[in-house]
Amino acid sequence: MAAVVLSEAEKLYIVHGVQEDLRVDGRGCEDYRCAEVETDVVSNTSGSARVKLGETDILVGIKAEMGTPKLEKPDEGYLEFFVDCSSNSPELEGRGGEELGTDIANTLYRVFSCENSVDLKSLCINPKEHCWVLYVDVLLLECGGNIFDAISIAVKAALFNTRIPKVRVLEDEEGTKEIELSDDPYDCIRLNIDEVPCVVTLSKIGYRHVVDATLQEEACSLASLLISVTSKGAITSMKKVGKGSLDPESIFEMMETGQRVGKSLHIALQKILDEEENLGTSRPKVGFLG
Amino acid sequence: MPLDHRRLRGPEESQPPALWAAAAAEDEEDGEGAGAVPRDPCALRPLFARAGLLSQAQGSAYVELGSGTKVLCAAWGPREAAEPGPGRLLCEFRRAPFAGRGARSRPGAAAEREAEREAAAALREALEPAVRLGRYPRARLAVSALLLQDGGSALAAAVSAAALALADAGVEMYDLAVGCALCRPAAPAAAWMLQPAEPEERRAAARLTLALLPALNQVSAVLGGGRGGPPEDWAQALRLGLDGCHRQYPVLRQSLLRAAQRRDAAAAAAATSA
Repeated sequence: MAAVVLSEAEKLYIVHGVQEDLRVDGRGCEDYRCAEVETDVVSNTSGSARVKLGETDILVGIKAEMGTPKLEKPDEGYLEFFVDCSSNSPELEGRGGEELGTDIANTLYRVFSCENSVDLKSLCINPKEHCWVLYVDVLLLECGGNIFDAISIAVKAALFNTRIPKVRVLEDEEGTKEIELSDDPYDCIRLNIDEVPCVVTLSKIGYRHVVDATLQEEACSLASLLISVTSKGAITSMKKVGKGSLDPESIFEMMETGQRVGKSLHIALQKILDEEENLGTSRPKVGFLG
Repeated sequence: MPLDHRRLRGPEESQPPALWAAAAAEDEEDGEGAGAVPRDPCALRPLFARAGLLSQAQGSAYVELGSGTKVLCAAWGPREAAEPGPGRLLCEFRRAPFAGRGARSRPGAAAEREAEREAAAALREALEPAVRLGRYPRARLAVSALLLQDGGSALAAAVSAAALALADAGVEMYDLAVGCALCRPAAPAAAWMLQPAEPEERRAAARLTLALLPALNQVSAVLGGGRGGPPEDWAQALRLGLDGCHRQYPVLRQSLLRAAQRRDAAAAAAATSA
């Protein structure tokens, strides 16, 4: 991750502030930074979203393509994640960026490993032969701390925006199957994102934990817990990151906070996505210029 | 294992026959499971640990779980590194091609390497809090774990073996990291089970692997996923896992003590004969 160099005095300042529930930019320990979410920013994809969480900028594009289902699950489609961080900073070009990218992709696979996050059976066209594969490509445009949260919000918004064309399978007398795409470009299936989880990263600073840490706060924290929460409050995955260790009691407290914060995050995100949906084509597009 | 390009390696795509026999075998297995006695979810399987068995590595350990998981781990002490700064711990995790019960995974396959890299990163997460890296500036410590047979809870066994190997190599540590795995079957109100066997792990709805430093009571790694439910369920699973780690700790300490005694005896014998 792009590291920021802090002096001991600065670290002490941040730690003491967090003990009093006061962070450097005036937030409380459980507040998120100002976030902007916009969907449908890239026109060549089946679905896309851009999230700006403070300084962190993430762009997600989803392309739906036809492929063969996996051997163990012949009647389901699947998701493939790819994360690219090379545009972030010079130290992340080449090998460094590749390692961070695979790390984030593995975390996304783990977060979405729960069977009912995305309805994979609706992505099946022909069992054992054809299915929809959703290639989710994440671009890390700028890293300003807390990238996992921003990426999961962007993936959820992009999945909401994804439009998969409807196909019909026609079978001849000889048994050869033909795939027919419907002529109407607006005739498509949408995904149900009620069960898609969002990641909440809780960083341990001193004796308390904070949500949505900036780069400076991440430099002061030795251990963080990544929790993925669904909108109903169920936890679907947990991972500890960092060089330090955590007290079991802290982990229990962090899970409670994560569930609370995650639920309110889902409500806020769903409100924005519904507003965008209702505006439809008359929505003013901000894109990259705003 | 180096690939011999002069040999015909067989077809690119091969599948195990077990995939097609799955339908018949599943019914048999379920029938057996229902009739058999359900296992006690808090029971720990027998654990066998031995340190100091490889002569070439500075430290080594072998851990075997009752369900059949066998992990061999080797550690090398501090070596000079070019980069300035605190010491670094490099972990490697490899699976033998015949380790899994399913299809044989080709040694160079991309998916295989991804899984190994992820496991190596998890291993490093678990061991870093335990090792006193501040005492080895500008040094590199290497740990390499080899999974010989996967009978469930492989990562947890690897964590314990790697911690033992580092301690055997004489690296300064705060405490041994003990790993424990749990899983929860797909049934609605099922209980979390300690140290699942491979079939239980495969059919589980949620899995959790923990690493604990028992003497300090600090958790050094948590890695879990699946349909676990509300935080209370995960908290209960964590408590069960922590208890399991505490119970395994004496076995690992004993193995370290025995290895030290063996080494002393061998050194004394060599001194008297020389």
